[in-house]
Amino acid sequence: MAATRRLTKEMTEIRKSAMTCFQIEEIDSNILLWKGLIIPDSEPYNKGAFKIEMTFPAEYPFKPPKITFKTKIYHPNIDEKGQVCLPIIQPENWKPATKADQVIQALVALVQNPEPEHPLRGDLAEEYIKDVKRFNKNAEEYTKKYGEKRPAL
Amino acid sequence: MAQSLEEDYIYSDDDDDDDADPNDYYGDECMEEDQEPVDEREPDPEHFDFKCLTVSEAKNFLDKQVQETCGKLKVDKRSAQVLLMAHGWIFSELEKRTEQDISNLLIEKGVRARNIPQVRKGGYVSSCSVCLQRKQPSDLKGLLCSHSFCKECWSKHFETLINNGIATDLQCMASDCHIGAPEEFVLSFLEEDSHRQKYQKFVFRDYIKSHYNLRFCPGADCSIVAYSEKPQSKRVDCIQCKTSFCFNCCGAYHAPTDCETVKKWLMKCADDSETANYISANTKDCPKCHACIEKNGGCNHMQCSRCKYDFCWVCMGDWKSHGTEYYECSRYKENPNIVNENAQVKAREALKKYLFYHGRWENHAKSLQLEAVTLANINKRIQEKVMKNEGTWIDWQYLLNAASLLAKCRYSLQYTYPYAYYLESGARKRLFEYQQAQLEAEIENLSWKIERAEKYQRGDLENQMAVAEKRRQTLFKDFFPT
Repeated sequence: MAATRRLTKEMTEIRKSAMTCFQIEEIDSNILLWKGLIIPDSEPYNKGAFKIEMTFPAEYPFKPPKITFKTKIYHPNIDEKGQVCLPIIQPENWKPATKADQVIQALVALVQNPEPEHPLRGDLAEEYIKDVKRFNKNAEEYTKKYGEKRPAL
Repeated sequence: MAQSLEEDYIYSDDDDDDDADPNDYYGDECMEEDQEPVDEREPDPEHFDFKCLTVSEAKNFLDKQVQETCGKLKVDKRSAQVLLMAHGWIFSELEKRTEQDISNLLIEKGVRARNIPQVRKGGYVSSCSVCLQRKQPSDLKGLLCSHSFCKECWSKHFETLINNGIATDLQCMASDCHIGAPEEFVLSFLEEDSHRQKYQKFVFRDYIKSHYNLRFCPGADCSIVAYSEKPQSKRVDCIQCKTSFCFNCCGAYHAPTDCETVKKWLMKCADDSETANYISANTKDCPKCHACIEKNGGCNHMQCSRCKYDFCWVCMGDWKSHGTEYYECSRYKENPNIVNENAQVKAREALKKYLFYHGRWENHAKSLQLEAVTLANINKRIQEKVMKNEGTWIDWQYLLNAASLLAKCRYSLQYTYPYAYYLESGARKRLFEYQQAQLEAEIENLSWKIERAEKYQRGDLENQMAVAEKRRQTLFKDFFPT
């Protein structure tokens, strides 16, 4: 299967590369489901880590993967169900040559630099625009409360 | 009636009156004398010039436009197609943009590459960056952006997107590359006939959908494409499947109401007509937060599930005042909670208004269905009469004409109700409702007489037809923009 072949290669490359903000967790036999940990290195999310799941369709790379947050996060672009609005994996923008590591990089960038212009959570976007200090304080508290433990480097 | 297209296109006129379309035989010179009375007539607000094209006629029409554009702008076929599509196939609009800078426009639309691509020298083994497999350089193909991928990946990429209905928007597979794939390129990777046909069908669909002057007939399985020089919210009668639709919105013909209003109305009907009755009969609004509350038990002590306010269902007052002396609330109070009452009364009033108009709308729709049955009966009766030698088939044609006129009038009447619903109160609404009432009265008279055609003289019936149609035209003249 084309998806399996490409994903196996991509997985090996990601493991070889030294990505500091992302770790692939142990995966089971299903290569179409990746479990990972986002470890942001900037405020206000650098007090914790966030579990994510990447689900690849059988048609991958001709159809985009889906990303869900498994850890609660205080973020304008990630909703309570863990759904993310990430343009590069939207079906209308998806390109088969885009690699999973590019997707992960885009995701990490979005987490560290929220885009309040197209929010999934309007209330948080408003707070982010009007009072970024308060937003950062809330996000930090939230991260401490719900975030995963950061792995020792 | 300007005809700019080829003569062999089937020409269809909007008004389905008896007067035949002027054809070439009558020529201009003999029309002049006869035309006098016609010229004096006020323009028919429903009149609309359109043509029904078959798929191949529509394709020829598009090809001609593409060729003309190629010539005028000195570009290739592919560029002309993309540019026309981006501007609704209105050449004058396109010209405005191309006067400034055509090459930037072509880059923006993904027809040309921004940078001159660096062609990779062949000779060594390379790989396709989609399937990550090693391929001979000669097996890697790409668009003018020089991103190359293997044949299998291109096919899979195109097939996946075509199955999602994407056709003219197919692009290169590289990240952030927006170079579009021309038709020949796509077709060279589609092997199965079913994929090729699907792709070509979708390309044609994209062209028509983006075209200012063309519309698909919305009739089931109908392939006709309607053309109009000046698109308007007017009626098109498909020559193939007989569907009547509005050229502008492609919905069911809706004069005298405009497209936006009828859309709003139909959405409203889909939303609340089912539940509106129940709500009005079984619910009240919470006196404090105005949440709509349904009473589903016998107890009159209510607690609002939203704001937790305790109140009495009977008097809508605070439950605290009830306590031991419940029957206090049966006493008529001079000064009820006037503010809350008003909001509730307003909501009920709005609902009542909607139900009034919706009821009439529904009723005329049902009448139209019933009158279709009447029409079938008329046909049967005519057959019987002809068999009994009571006149010839032609003698009874007036009955069929009457029934079709009735359907036309009733249809218009049905669509006057959304118009009236959204019309603001005032002199104009009063005039509208007056004319609407007049029309309705005459339509009911006509319907009555058609159902009892044996009892009425032919002259009487034809007179009634003329009156009803006159009423319809009067209303349209005043309220349906030409």
